[in-house]
Amino acid sequence: MTGNPGIPSDAELLARASRGDERAVGMVYDRYGQVMYAVAYRIVRQPGDAEEVVADAFAQAWRDAGRFEAGRGSVAAWLTVITRSRALDLVRARSRRERITDAARRSDPESTLGMGTPGASPDAAVETKERERRVAEALADLSPPQRAAIELAFFEGLSHSEIAERLDEPLGTVKTRVRLGMQKLRESLKPYFYERFA
Amino acid sequence: MSGAEFGTPRDLAAAYALGALDAPEAKAFEELLARDAELAREVAEYREVAALLALAEPASSPTDGLRTRVIAGTPPRSIASAAPRQRSAGWMPWALAAALLLAFWLGAERARLGTKLDQASALLSRRDTLLAQRDTLLQAQQRTLDALLTPGVELYQLTATGDPVPGVQLFWDRKRNRAIIHSFGVKPLPDDRAYQLWFIQDGKPVPSVTFRPAADGRAQVESIDVPSGAGVTAAAITEEPLGGSPQPTSAIYLVGKLSGA
Repeated sequence: MTGNPGIPSDAELLARASRGDERAVGMVYDRYGQVMYAVAYRIVRQPGDAEEVVADAFAQAWRDAGRFEAGRGSVAAWLTVITRSRALDLVRARSRRERITDAARRSDPESTLGMGTPGASPDAAVETKERERRVAEALADLSPPQRAAIELAFFEGLSHSEIAERLDEPLGTVKTRVRLGMQKLRESLKPYFYERFA
Repeated sequence: MSGAEFGTPRDLAAAYALGALDAPEAKAFEELLARDAELAREVAEYREVAALLALAEPASSPTDGLRTRVIAGTPPRSIASAAPRQRSAGWMPWALAAALLLAFWLGAERARLGTKLDQASALLSRRDTLLAQRDTLLQAQQRTLDALLTPGVELYQLTATGDPVPGVQLFWDRKRNRAIIHSFGVKPLPDDRAYQLWFIQDGKPVPSVTFRPAADGRAQVESIDVPSGAGVTAAAITEEPLGGSPQPTSAIYLVGKLSGA
């Protein structure tokens, strides 16, 4: 989300937010709060925990804003990496404390599809909706084993060898599935990237 | 990092962006990434893909409270950017002046408490992260220990001249066709080179994992697939390009017989 005259770029907003500009914080949240929540929810599977993860991820983003390198990726991707890392930390800590006894109080998400946050503009909500549709189609185009390998890596934090062990498949097969699946997604989703690369 | 399926580091860009490389692989890849702008661009694109993955599954929206909470977590403004305050005109009623003073004091107190709270939260957050990192490390060490202590695991030495250093210990779990290797005292390598493990089966080299040692010559690689079937009689180490080779391209550096094979 960059390049429109009069609209601050993500990198500018990130810098302002890290210096204590509440308005910039709100704008970054409106742009990427929903996608960060979606990542967190896919990993922790609990709405309250997902919100905890997003709040922590933003706090870390403000602290680490100086490490963001604009030329090496988008703010959206950077925030996603932070969110994934915090969510996996939470799951591991939860597992460690063996407090997965809360199945009863686990509530299913309401069927309000991610239409953006209250502060997001209608245009942004439409864009988000289109992105969701295209990502679902692109993933559906993968073979089920390719999709499974990619999702185990990203949402469960497993390495190639751990995926091979989990699926009882040869390591080389898993590597190939991840590589070919991601290549296919890269081609089909390029128009929907948060930032394009020359 | 198996040379059999992955000829160039570029083949690992997608897995790196997904977080699917194990720690030694990721470290070796990052060394290369720092010097290769084209590879960095490729990783950036795969990270864009990763950033979109969660959108495929409908999720609930976060509550309005999350936005409020995130904004409440805005870091304190730096002193340089704080606007100077103006004093009230002298003709204002005393009551208004007192109210302003009180408001000012309350604001300052709130800022002071807010800063303390932020500091405490940041400290807690750092400790959480540290704990999680240690937990991950402990779990990895436990997995290694479990693998080494599995009944039937055999230990072999790969050496250059018969002396133990430099050398590689190979722990072979024949039942599961898995191995772990641990190197010590091996010589350092240029940035674009790695050691590659080979299993000798029926007299022919079968490519396996690559690894780069730390400065002290140590490295450890786990969950190595050993070729199935009989005829694996030895293992060897050669020096190869970073992504590994399908056939050895240099002389054997370390070798050891896998007796009883």
